[in-house]
Amino acid sequence: MTKRTMQEATFLILTALAAGSQHGYGIIADVARISGGRVRLRAGTLYSALDRLRLDGLVRVDREEVVEGRLRRYYQLTPEGTTQLAAEAARFQANAATALARLGLAEGMAT
Amino acid sequence: MIGTADLERGYRRWLRWYPRTFRREHEAEVLGVLLAGAREGQRRPAPVECLDLLRGALSMRLRPRVPRTERAAVTAVRLMYLGAVLELVAAVTILATIGSVRSSMVQRSPGFTQAQWHAVVAGKLAPTALAAGIAAALWLWMAWANGRGHRWARILFALFFGVNAFGLGSGLAGGSALYARADLAAGTALCLVHLVAVAMLFDQDIRRIAGHRSSAG
Repeated sequence: MTKRTMQEATFLILTALAAGSQHGYGIIADVARISGGRVRLRAGTLYSALDRLRLDGLVRVDREEVVEGRLRRYYQLTPEGTTQLAAEAARFQANAATALARLGLAEGMAT
Repeated sequence: MIGTADLERGYRRWLRWYPRTFRREHEAEVLGVLLAGAREGQRRPAPVECLDLLRGALSMRLRPRVPRTERAAVTAVRLMYLGAVLELVAAVTILATIGSVRSSMVQRSPGFTQAQWHAVVAGKLAPTALAAGIAAALWLWMAWANGRGHRWARILFALFFGVNAFGLGSGLAGGSALYARADLAAGTALCLVHLVAVAMLFDQDIRRIAGHRSSAG
């Protein structure tokens, strides 16, 4: 059976967590940075995605902190999350390489 | 400060749409993220934020709480949504074709009276459309409950299948006079969807029993 393609927001959230654990607002800021400002997650979308990712065992809570009286919960990738992100990134990379090669834009092919 | 308090109150109001279990665990955290992302001097949640919170809340309330790795269970829940759609299509079809049913009856028997037509609507068409609507609601309820992994819902869904199959079977055994061709096709399609969904729901149990049997044999 073919695996379902990961949505871009999910891919970017997992990518934001790939370098280490982050809290909710940190993920939103990092996703905006990674996507060059193209994807701006809102809290509802982020927590809906995090809820799904936790349920699927791709993300877990790392620790909690209280900063200026507000709760911050840090999330991190699970080993399964790391594996799935790596597989998805490799798939994107292979597809992109094929597209660029066919367009004659792959590295070393442009004149 | 007053502005922040107003804004916080506004966000809390929208967070009430979320399931209670989620709010208990995450409300303070989400509120912190919302306030951190608010504009300087913002006093009310922006419409786009409200829509996003509403969408997130609805998605958490409606989507199955079954991990995607449990594919059989996820498929079963999707089939239940399909069942609901089929029932709704049936109800809408009955209501939308009432006019053509009437003209076809008048064509077949020219002496067909207004009172006879009312009797057909009240005795057959309206109850059938109503039953399809109720059945759609039942399918949706079953999808919601099974999506949350309630064990009682699996059993109830299997019983619901028994009733559905018995209804279809007894109608067929009674000479199929009750069923027009379209009725029969729709009933059979729904019964098949139901059967596959039940098999998917009990997939793990079926495999476990099969595994015991093969290891015993």
